[in-house]
Amino acid sequence: MRLHKTCDGVRRRDVIRMGLLGTGAVGIGGLSLPNWLQMAEAGEINPTRVKRAIFIELVGGPSHMDTFDLKPDAPDAVRGAFRPIDTNVPGVQISEHLPRLAGVADKFAILRGVSHTLAAHQLGREYVNSGSRPIPALQFPSFGSVVSAERECDVNIPPHVAIPRAGHGPGFLGLENAALETKAAPQFGRPFSVRGISLPGDLTVDEVSRRQELLKGLDRRFAELESNDQLLQGLSRFGEQAYAMITSPRARKAFDISKEPESFRKQFGEEAFGQSCLLSLRLVESGVNFVSLQLGGWDTHQDNFTKLKTDLLPKLDYGLSGLLNGLEQRGLLESTAVMVTGEFGRTPKINTRSEEGGRDHYPRCMFMLMAGGDVRGGQVIGESDDTASAPRHDAITPDDVAASFYHNLGIDPTKEFNSDTGRPITLVRNGTVIDRLFA
Amino acid sequence: MRPAQSNTPQWIALASICFAVMIAGMASAEPGPANSRESAKRSGDQSQLASVSESMSVRFSDAETKEVPDFQKHVMPLLGRLGCNGRSCHGSFQGRGGFQLSLFGYDFKADHAALLDENSGRVDVDDITESLILAKPIDADMHEGGKRLDEGSWQFNTLYRWIESGAVANASIQTLDRLEIQPAEIQFDTDEEELQLTAIAHWADGTVEDVTELCRFSSNDDAVAAINENGLVHSGLSGDTHVVVSYDRAVVPIAVTRRVQVESSIDVPPRSEHPVDQLIAIKHAKLGIIPSPLCNDSEFIRRASLDITGTLPAAEEVRRFLVSDDPNKRNQLIEDLLDAPGYAAWWATRISDWTGNSDAQLNNVYPMRGAASRLWYEWLRVRLDDNVPYDEIVEGIVNAQSRQEGEDYREYCKEMTQACMPGNEEIFAARDGMPLFWARRNFQKPEERAIGFAYAFLGIRIECAQCHKHPFDQWSKDDFDQFAKIFQNINARANAVSKDSNQIRKELLESITDGKKLNNGELRKLVYRAAQNGQVVPFPELTYVDQTASARQRLAKQKKSKKGMTATIKVPEGFVLGQAEPVKLDKDPRSELMRWMRDADNPYFAPAIVNRVWSNYFGVGIINPTDDMNLANPASNQPLLEYLSTGFRDSGFDLRWLHREIVTSHAYQRSTLTNASNARDRLNFSRHVPRRLPAEVIHDAVLLATQSTVQSQKMRSTMSDMAIAADINQGRNQRNFALQVFGQSERESNCDCDRSDSPSLLQSIYLRNDIEMYQQLASKNGWVAQACASLGEAGPAAKDNPIKDQIARKADQARLQTIARVKRYLALNENRRESQRPSLEKNYVDLKKRLKQFGFETPSLRELLADPDSWQSVSRDEAATRRVSDSLESVIEDAYLRALSRTPDQEELAIAMQYINDSESVADGLSSVMWALVNTKEFIITH
Repeated sequence: MRLHKTCDGVRRRDVIRMGLLGTGAVGIGGLSLPNWLQMAEAGEINPTRVKRAIFIELVGGPSHMDTFDLKPDAPDAVRGAFRPIDTNVPGVQISEHLPRLAGVADKFAILRGVSHTLAAHQLGREYVNSGSRPIPALQFPSFGSVVSAERECDVNIPPHVAIPRAGHGPGFLGLENAALETKAAPQFGRPFSVRGISLPGDLTVDEVSRRQELLKGLDRRFAELESNDQLLQGLSRFGEQAYAMITSPRARKAFDISKEPESFRKQFGEEAFGQSCLLSLRLVESGVNFVSLQLGGWDTHQDNFTKLKTDLLPKLDYGLSGLLNGLEQRGLLESTAVMVTGEFGRTPKINTRSEEGGRDHYPRCMFMLMAGGDVRGGQVIGESDDTASAPRHDAITPDDVAASFYHNLGIDPTKEFNSDTGRPITLVRNGTVIDRLFA
Repeated sequence: MRPAQSNTPQWIALASICFAVMIAGMASAEPGPANSRESAKRSGDQSQLASVSESMSVRFSDAETKEVPDFQKHVMPLLGRLGCNGRSCHGSFQGRGGFQLSLFGYDFKADHAALLDENSGRVDVDDITESLILAKPIDADMHEGGKRLDEGSWQFNTLYRWIESGAVANASIQTLDRLEIQPAEIQFDTDEEELQLTAIAHWADGTVEDVTELCRFSSNDDAVAAINENGLVHSGLSGDTHVVVSYDRAVVPIAVTRRVQVESSIDVPPRSEHPVDQLIAIKHAKLGIIPSPLCNDSEFIRRASLDITGTLPAAEEVRRFLVSDDPNKRNQLIEDLLDAPGYAAWWATRISDWTGNSDAQLNNVYPMRGAASRLWYEWLRVRLDDNVPYDEIVEGIVNAQSRQEGEDYREYCKEMTQACMPGNEEIFAARDGMPLFWARRNFQKPEERAIGFAYAFLGIRIECAQCHKHPFDQWSKDDFDQFAKIFQNINARANAVSKDSNQIRKELLESITDGKKLNNGELRKLVYRAAQNGQVVPFPELTYVDQTASARQRLAKQKKSKKGMTATIKVPEGFVLGQAEPVKLDKDPRSELMRWMRDADNPYFAPAIVNRVWSNYFGVGIINPTDDMNLANPASNQPLLEYLSTGFRDSGFDLRWLHREIVTSHAYQRSTLTNASNARDRLNFSRHVPRRLPAEVIHDAVLLATQSTVQSQKMRSTMSDMAIAADINQGRNQRNFALQVFGQSERESNCDCDRSDSPSLLQSIYLRNDIEMYQQLASKNGWVAQACASLGEAGPAAKDNPIKDQIARKADQARLQTIARVKRYLALNENRRESQRPSLEKNYVDLKKRLKQFGFETPSLRELLADPDSWQSVSRDEAATRRVSDSLESVIEDAYLRALSRTPDQEELAIAMQYINDSESVADGLSSVMWALVNTKEFIITH
């Protein structure tokens, strides 16, 4: 029995029609879970420990030299104001303004000397969000959209959530694999809900189901056109999903971070980013397959050090350390792949445009972080030269990291997809899995 | 280092000539060769007229050749072809291996300097073989970029000979007249064909040379046509695209088509004499596409109303249109719509998008919150309503002065203070200029203005050239800088006024502050308050700062004191894109800019707006993306774009002519139905491709469908509460939720993609379950209430109608039982409640059904949960027992006409009737039917 009849796999829509996993209350017919299990048993689906992923994008391009790749012996013009500190892993040092992360360094791997050539924000972001260098003819999908297309997910929970916004679209995988954007970030100690997800009090699930049947009866024009039209497919898919989500309490509970005990909440800090990290944890715990988070402000052409020290690094330090600790406390770290990246590093040489100085776009040398799943934490992979200007040996590319991220998720990075024009496209075109990450 | 100023006339001339290259390329593509071989032959014949130099690989195959390669014509293109100046190699901004070339070339001076820099060792004329540009690329070990050429190859010999001859650069930049590509157009028949392109450079100095080996090649869609680095094209899927050839400053697209092969026969729709249809038919014939038939009247009135006026047609209008037997009714409807208030409202919103009318960017420009954006919008709306020619509208923006002719500063401030009061927008709209375009926060630096101006009025993206040669267009970094200079002296900051206004401004401020010294924040607060109270407050003025003025004064003084001295002032200059003549910046250059845009030869101004308007009607432009016209991104149908652009200009930039010319075509009126030949076509206008309605249109359509007839008529006639008319209160930090969810443009990014028409989960959730949707369905002023009233039924809000009955006792038992159950449920802890909820709901629904059989009402579960004891007694719902099915049918029909602009078919009617009859009340049933209609795909897309 072949699961994939076409290169692009089972179409998402078909899967939904095939069966709505979970919620017995949802009464749209068809077989469901057993079908999938049969296929899994027949070896058609690659089982993996890692179920879900959290992708954190540091928008603007964080300075590698002031965070995870310090060069204390470099000349003044490049070294910067920060000193390295020891971490809980002997021999591994990171910035003094990341003390909490230093305490959990055994839980993540640092990739140094990651290198590419796209120095513009948009292009760089497209690259690190997809693992493929952007080309004009088509748009490569974001990691989350690939996972959304590849993974089963209960329909009453969104497969792919972006807090507050997605850094990159679904590209050729189509709108149906776009992220659910929360639009806002959760605030400390306040209940959080995504508008429209809870059912008004006087509507019962039965009434909603009955109304849904009515809608199905009336929404039949364009059925023929649908197989050939991404827009119509997307509308159908989102409609079905919205219905499933509204009729189940699961999603709205997952979004409500105020349900977490205070003691647990606290370790994420009180900033919106930390609370977003907490939300991402709740979401993967509830079955969301992919959560992407953003922390912006890293484009520090001016006043690099003040901005990092007083604002950006504390936010990252609290949020990410809270997330890694939290995942471990909940027993989720082994089943959740975590990746952290900006679109590029920043120039080793400190510019003099402002009194304090800043650093400019620098894709040739940057850092990324990986954690969770099969990643062995507490190691540094790759190395930059004495001034962090270039990889010392072989460069790690965003493609390699992407391949490794997919590998960690149990998705074959060499899998072929079909673009909307039917063009075959390898998921990660130029990358190879970094074996040491998993050794 | 940029090319010296003295070179200016030449390279500017080059820019304009390169544009001619594009036109020539297009023109030669027009005759339409039958197949690739023939066209190759024909083009070959043409170029034999001049004597073509043999290719480099022949001339330089012999290392002993005496020919000296030219730096601009040969050496730099060769390095480009070898990949040296790519962005991952030496073209990177950091360089590579201590050696940096300009990205994509064309900075000959800098590149020559970099090559000859002693420290880099790239070129060593004394020890030629030691030159790194020879030594590195022949040795994979030594060169990080790997092996790029063989020793003794023609490429090697070329570089060698250049160094041997002294490695000189050209004294000035040479002009490429034309890059001729053979064949000029390609038509493939199968997916197994290959064809080699040949590129012939025609230089202004008379030399003609085969430069195929020096060009860069790319394909706009390699699924249709792939091209390798040598210019060999390989056929692919059926369809059409362009392969692009770049050399020197020329970028030449070559059209490639492969016909669709269809076995079955397809009905050919009637031929149309409309010029738009004829031009599209030519393209269809080439592609083997047979277009879809015309859409029906329901589809037409809905489509035309939504696209032209952004407004859902009223049920009554649809009814009237459907029964009319006037053969000219579609054209009549088009005229009516172009004259409707919705037309001006919707298109003022669209032009607001393109010109960047962003409240956030206009913060504090005028001393009243939200005023600037409102006034901008209204200024546009009034002009569209009056059908002011497009070039005049743009002139009012581009050449805007703050004061009217003859108006003094105090009068200006007085009128502006009035105009800012809500409701007084027409005062501003009556003024000649709209200077707010220049006052935006993200439009102050010359570079920002160059980018934003080109985006708004020219439909081009020149931002690439801010840092390096535009990879897909002729623009060099220098072109960009020269263009940006034009904008440098225009001061439109929020506190700027002209010199002669300073005193009055001071007086006005003093009368507000009573002479007290205040910090900026306090002052602003006071000014805002004063303006609100109608006190005249100072307004900013757009001024032109002539930087030569002081120098001229100085000179005049000198002349007086020292007679006979003849000093000159250097007047700064800038260049309009692609123009040979500089613009002197000692006076405001904006009128010169406007003159250029209006010129009949301007290649951007008319096509940009034509393409955007077209895209509004087809969901896809003739050029895509609509704001990215460049040499490498040609139109899918150039004759069509030219026809409309020329016609638009000849009509006196009459926007209604343009709209009419588009929407009266068969192309616009085609059905969504596909056939085997056009099912995959999305770019050639052979069928109606559904698109999701724009954010504002959806927002309004939901209201128009769900509100009462009186209410929606009021909306349509006064445009009140309509998002397409910008009549939605939106704070800077709290935008309207629905508009945001459906992707309204924020107008901040100089990109048409700022507006989104993609669907999303959140949109579906909004339409299905947002509190706003429920409020509208249940509103006293809503359609459900109106329909219930017309049926003599209780409306959605009023359900109580108690009477006594004999079965009441049994019902009362059920009541007590339920109250007890709910109380038990409420006593559970939260987790248990969650798990018990389904069974509680099921019980509740069963009970409700049972009671309903006997005509009893049941309070909502929410009420019961809030207070179980509030259910004091069972009561009978009288309304449920009297239904008038005849008029119910007409009510359902009305719902269909409102929401979907069509009547329901028998099956749909039956489903809806059945549902309402099964519902607890007519109000509930109707509410659900309307809910369902608004949630159909049919509602949210065009068809």
